[in-house]
This record gives sequence, C-alpha cells and structure tokens, in this order.
Amino acid sequence: MTFRAQGLRAWLLQRLSAAYLALFTILAVGWLLFGEPVDYAAWRQLLGTPWISVLMALFFMALFFHAWVGIRDVLMDYVPHLKLRLFLLIAVAVLLLALAIWSALTLVSVYRP
Amino acid sequence: MASMRFRIYRYNPETDTGPRMQDFVLEDVQPGMMLRDALLRLKEQDETLTFRHSCGEGVCGSDAMNINGTNGLACITPLAGLKEPVEIRPVPKLPVIRDLVVDMDEFYHHYRSVKPYLIVHDPEPEVEFLQSPQEREKLDGLYECILCGCCTTFCPSFWWNPGKFRGPAALLQACRFLVDSRDQATAERLEDLEGPYRLFRCHTIMNCVNVCPKGLNPTAAINTIKRLMVKDMI
Repeated sequence: MTFRAQGLRAWLLQRLSAAYLALFTILAVGWLLFGEPVDYAAWRQLLGTPWISVLMALFFMALFFHAWVGIRDVLMDYVPHLKLRLFLLIAVAVLLLALAIWSALTLVSVYRP
Repeated sequence: MASMRFRIYRYNPETDTGPRMQDFVLEDVQPGMMLRDALLRLKEQDETLTFRHSCGEGVCGSDAMNINGTNGLACITPLAGLKEPVEIRPVPKLPVIRDLVVDMDEFYHHYRSVKPYLIVHDPEPEVEFLQSPQEREKLDGLYECILCGCCTTFCPSFWWNPGKFRGPAALLQACRFLVDSRDQATAERLEDLEGPYRLFRCHTIMNCVNVCPKGLNPTAAINTIKRLMVKDMI
C-alpha cells in the first residue's frame, strides 16, 4: 500500500501510527517502571497472552510503516539523484521488511512448545 | 542614527562571472525610513543597482527580498530595527535576472496550476453569486495574499522540490477556492493536489508563517486542505 508513493494515505498512516506508537510507548514504559519486576518466565507468559501479542504486532507494524513514510520523505527531500534515491528506497524497504518478518517470527515463536 | 551600512548582492548573469556583495553607506538616515527608501537613495549612488518596487506600502508585493537572512518586503521593513551591515539578497532559490530581481516564472506556474478562480458547473445565475456573511468569513486570512513570494521562496520543501511542490502561496490560494461556498470543483481540486509532492511535501516547518508580510498562515491553509481530503475520502 505504501510502496506506491501516495500522498494522503502515507500522511494518514504516518499520523495514525504516530498516535499508536506514542500511546503504546507510554503504556509500555509505565508498565516497566511501575509494574512488578519480571523474570524470564513471566516475560514469556506475558508474550504468550494473545491480546498482548496482537498489541505488540500492531506496535511493530506501526513502527515499520511510520519508519517507511518518514525515511521515504527524507530521501525524497534530500536525495535528488534519482538512481541513488531508488537504490536507497529499495534498501530501506528490504531492511524494514526483514525486520518485520523477524519480529513476526519472534512473536510467534513464543507459542511453539 | 546618522549613517547606516549595507551589503547588497550584485549579479548580472549576462556580464558577471559570479555574484558579489557590494558595500554601501547611506548618510543622513531619517527616523521612520523604510528599507525601500534607503534602496532608492542607494540607487542614486550607484544607478546600476536593480530591484523591483512599486506601491511602497506593502500592497503590490513587488519588493520581496532577503533582508539579513529573512524574507520580507523592503517597503514595510523599518530601517530602525535592522542589524548592520544590512545584508540584502534576492529571495532564495529562484533564478536571478539582475541583482535583487528574480525570475518568478516557477512561482506563477504553481499559482496557475491550482486554478485560482471560481469554477462553477451549474448554469450561471441571473444575479450575482450570493454568499452569506458567514460563508464570506471563511475567506478571511486567505484572500489577502499579494503573491510577493516571500513564503514560497523561504520554504525548505520548495528549495528541495521546486518543480513539484506547489509551495505555500499556491496552496493558500488552493484553500481559498476550496472553502469558497460558490466554487463547485472541490473534488477536482483535491484530486489534483493528491500525490506525494504537490501538497504533501509540506512538513509544517512554518517558515511561511514567520515571513508572510501580510500575517497570513499558509500552514493552517494546508492543514485545512488535508482535512478536506480526509473528509472527501470518508
């Protein structure tokens, strides 16, 4: 959806993902600071809770979409050389996609015995 | 304040190899003098100094220039507040024709592109287009633009993508016709501004708001357009 350089959609996605990222970060940091200290088992159990997994997956999706729109904007502004820009855009897309797959695999791995 | 020092950008692309800064001293500076008055007196010292000016009261928008690093109109910039030597350059980014005179073609191209006139699809009424006072109020802060170019030429997004980004002045005009109750081309206008460049290169840097000599707010106008687009989408 965002790979095609759209104006309104990219901007909306940036705004919505920013709101989610801000909210999630505040809650996560608050939980880490003021919640009970967690050990590995508790951490695993937490990530094994389906609705937490969904929130985490949404967080990573929002993060990567937000990063994509932001970096795309920077490259469009500061890299006027078209071939170089295309190369960098592809490099960023590949990197973000790899990170997305990695985080998805990590989230799913908790459910395996 | 008896005398004032100036450093003014001089460049004639037809004869000079490159631009240079020329120093001037203006004697007998009077209180209340504007920069335009000073430039006119300096032109008496060196007749080759070239700049645009006309009305002398911030209405025509001819004498936009970069004054000590900030865009403004010379005719309504008081000498009293300026740091010396007063550095005067043409507005950034646009090609220089001579000294402080720039080629505004690109700027006007973007202005024309937003179709800055009413578009009506219905048969035209027998009488005038009527508008309620409330509908008319929506145009306040939009119609006053004098197209001096201070905002667009001070916008980093315009510096990076001058050929594609419409710029604050043109987008302010786009908004002026989008919110006009008499205009019937809302969908077409919004469609035309879609895409990553024409409108969405704006990153709300707000240089346009800082330099507008008429105190207008193109950033707010751009946000209004974005809101209209979201509304149009839903």
